[in-house]
Amino acid sequence: MLKLTELPWLRSGLACLTCAALLLQTAACEPRQPATPKVPLQPAVFEPLREALLKSYEELFEEAPRLEFTAAQIQQMREYLRRSREYCVSRYKDRVKEHEKNLESAQAELKRRTATLSDAERKELHCRIQNLRAVKSQAEVLANHAIPVAFENRQAKLDLIEKWPAQLKQIQQEIASGAYHNRPYGDVKDIGFREVGKGQEQDVKLGEDTVREMRQTGLMPPEVKNEAVQKYVADLAKKIAARSDLRVPVKVTVLNSKEINAFALPGGFLFVQRGLLEAAEDESQLAGVLAHEIAHAAARHGQRLMKKATIANLIYQAAQVAAVILTGGAATIGTYYALQYGFYGLGLVLSLDLLGVSREFELEADQLGVQYAWNAGYDPSGFIRFFDKMATREGYVNGVSWFRTHPPFYERMVHTRREMLFLPKKEGLIRQSAAFEQMKKELAKVTAEAEEEEKGRPSLLAPEQGCPAPEKIEYKPGDKIEAICALPTS
Amino acid sequence: MRASHFLRNAACLLAAARLLCAAAPQGRTVSLYVTVEKGGGLVTGLTEKNFRLYEDGQPKPFRLEPPETPATIALLVEHSQASWPYLNDIAQSIEGFFREAPEGNWYALATFSNQLKVEVDFTKMRGRILEAFSELGQPLWDAINTYDAVWEMLDKMGRLPGRRVLIFIGSGYDDFSAYTLDEVRRKVEQTNVVIYALGAGSMLRGSYEPYLGNTARMNLYQAEAFLRMLADKSGGQAWFPRFETAYRDAMRGIMQSLAAQYRLVYESTVPRDGRFHKIKVEAFQVVNDRREDFRVRAREGWRY
Repeated sequence: MLKLTELPWLRSGLACLTCAALLLQTAACEPRQPATPKVPLQPAVFEPLREALLKSYEELFEEAPRLEFTAAQIQQMREYLRRSREYCVSRYKDRVKEHEKNLESAQAELKRRTATLSDAERKELHCRIQNLRAVKSQAEVLANHAIPVAFENRQAKLDLIEKWPAQLKQIQQEIASGAYHNRPYGDVKDIGFREVGKGQEQDVKLGEDTVREMRQTGLMPPEVKNEAVQKYVADLAKKIAARSDLRVPVKVTVLNSKEINAFALPGGFLFVQRGLLEAAEDESQLAGVLAHEIAHAAARHGQRLMKKATIANLIYQAAQVAAVILTGGAATIGTYYALQYGFYGLGLVLSLDLLGVSREFELEADQLGVQYAWNAGYDPSGFIRFFDKMATREGYVNGVSWFRTHPPFYERMVHTRREMLFLPKKEGLIRQSAAFEQMKKELAKVTAEAEEEEKGRPSLLAPEQGCPAPEKIEYKPGDKIEAICALPTS
Repeated sequence: MRASHFLRNAACLLAAARLLCAAAPQGRTVSLYVTVEKGGGLVTGLTEKNFRLYEDGQPKPFRLEPPETPATIALLVEHSQASWPYLNDIAQSIEGFFREAPEGNWYALATFSNQLKVEVDFTKMRGRILEAFSELGQPLWDAINTYDAVWEMLDKMGRLPGRRVLIFIGSGYDDFSAYTLDEVRRKVEQTNVVIYALGAGSMLRGSYEPYLGNTARMNLYQAEAFLRMLADKSGGQAWFPRFETAYRDAMRGIMQSLAAQYRLVYESTVPRDGRFHKIKVEAFQVVNDRREDFRVRAREGWRY
């Protein structure tokens, strides 16, 4: 019988192999750190392209046809952006892990020593935990939202630079040949006389029921108690509705919530949140958003969605599904009903079939909304400018990227711009009005009151008194991402 | 030598004076929240002359003021793997809260198993409580550290201004809390928060109690006694519903009690000596020269 001890070379060889295997395994288990991305292009190409990606969508629609970048250069930039995003996200994810580790250690210490700590020691530990929670939370927001959204925004702009020139040529050809008249809802001169959503009046009862149920859920923010603001928005919506395909009266309510959102329910019920009015810079932007919501009501998207919901055999009541899809802000209303059906498994979401439907509806509402704003005498580019601002500056605030919506942001932008080009030229389109500026002044009072109430809001998360201010990463939505993640530029 | 002697004596005198000052009665304006009952129903519409207030047995002058609005109301909910037999009781209570809680107050939701977690900070949209509760999902831990959770919640709420109310929904069992029952009791006595308790699992008790062993039975009694202690010490009330809809009824009872609360404002002069000082509130009305006393729910006293 051959013994291992008699073959020292075999024994040492096996030992070496085992060590190597262990080392390889360890290396494989270590997460790979993305390398610092290298600039793939010559400065003469890279710099102008980088500058172009910082422009607004409106500017890019104008300038893209004159920009001269090759497909290969754009592809290299796309790859550079992908790597940069990975690199920046991984840096902040590492920070999250580090803060998490320190936080766990501090909390364990607090738990272990809680009975014996002096007041000063307890205070010091509380302050340390508080600071770690704050910096961890900041790093999480940056890693999961701010950085991805900033890069998705640049990728969308790169898509625009690459694809828009060809699409513009096609649009110009369609205009020259007159083929654009054959697009769906191409009969813009017949707005108000054509049939967009037959049977709108049947939706009114459904809308009333849905509004009542939404109020009962306790999720509906209170109404803004300022007649001037309510009247201004209602008048503007009525003005647009009168020049749209909506055949039922529009009923608008401004809700006192800082969220930037608006939603439509079947039957012409529109809800606009205070935050949206604050975010709108001029009347054409607000008109664009209201026209979009009016388009949902006119085309009966809520009612059409309910039919699909029944087919999809969801447990949500059909009316709630309509609210969920169209609202965004009130999307979680369905959870109340879910509670009726069981304690667990409440992470119910709408099926992909329905998301597919909502994609079609959003594009339709974008197109019709631009037509209605234009028909009411407003500059239809207001809708694009508002979208641009929201996506760039506010996109990640609520934790949802506008670039991950269905349909994709780029597609919606191009679709809207295309419709604008097809519309007959009109002089004197309104961008701004004195009434809008007066409404803003009134709104400022409402906002001040709401902020005062917010200041007086009690909190279970109130910071420990007397601690130094938590460390803060200085970054605001819309700032260049390079401010917090240094990337090579040459 | 003489100078150092003098300094030492002076230091001793200073320290003694400080101790004396700490123990001396100091006036502080406090609000005492009181509900008055007669035959199980709430009594409203009483005036100052219908009340008497005693602190450490001494009558105290007071004034009756409307309770602060909005009230600051937090729900503390047990959410542990070990709670599964009575999860439905908890869900019923939350449902009842949603239906009965009036608009306008501040509402918050915190849950606990091995540690406290604030699910929803104070909001006036009570639907957010139901929404967050419905999204809790499967609990990760099987611990029920009730004492820690109650202590921490009282600590957090004690820093807030105004009328503060804690609604506890859970079994009252405790596993491995760092705080002891005595420490929680002291915290309740130190903090001006009215606590209402809804005993989850009370429905099961009726069915299973006859089959329980001595230890399990003791645990049950201890859990129930804990919830009663929270309510009695703080001037609230504990409910142990025995059927499903009674959880909603209990939540209605809490909201009605809050709506019928009286607020007695007075200068408390009990010393900061770390000892418990009793309060007694009497409520009565005089009918045909005969005094008719009501049942009063008010906190039992203060500990500073």
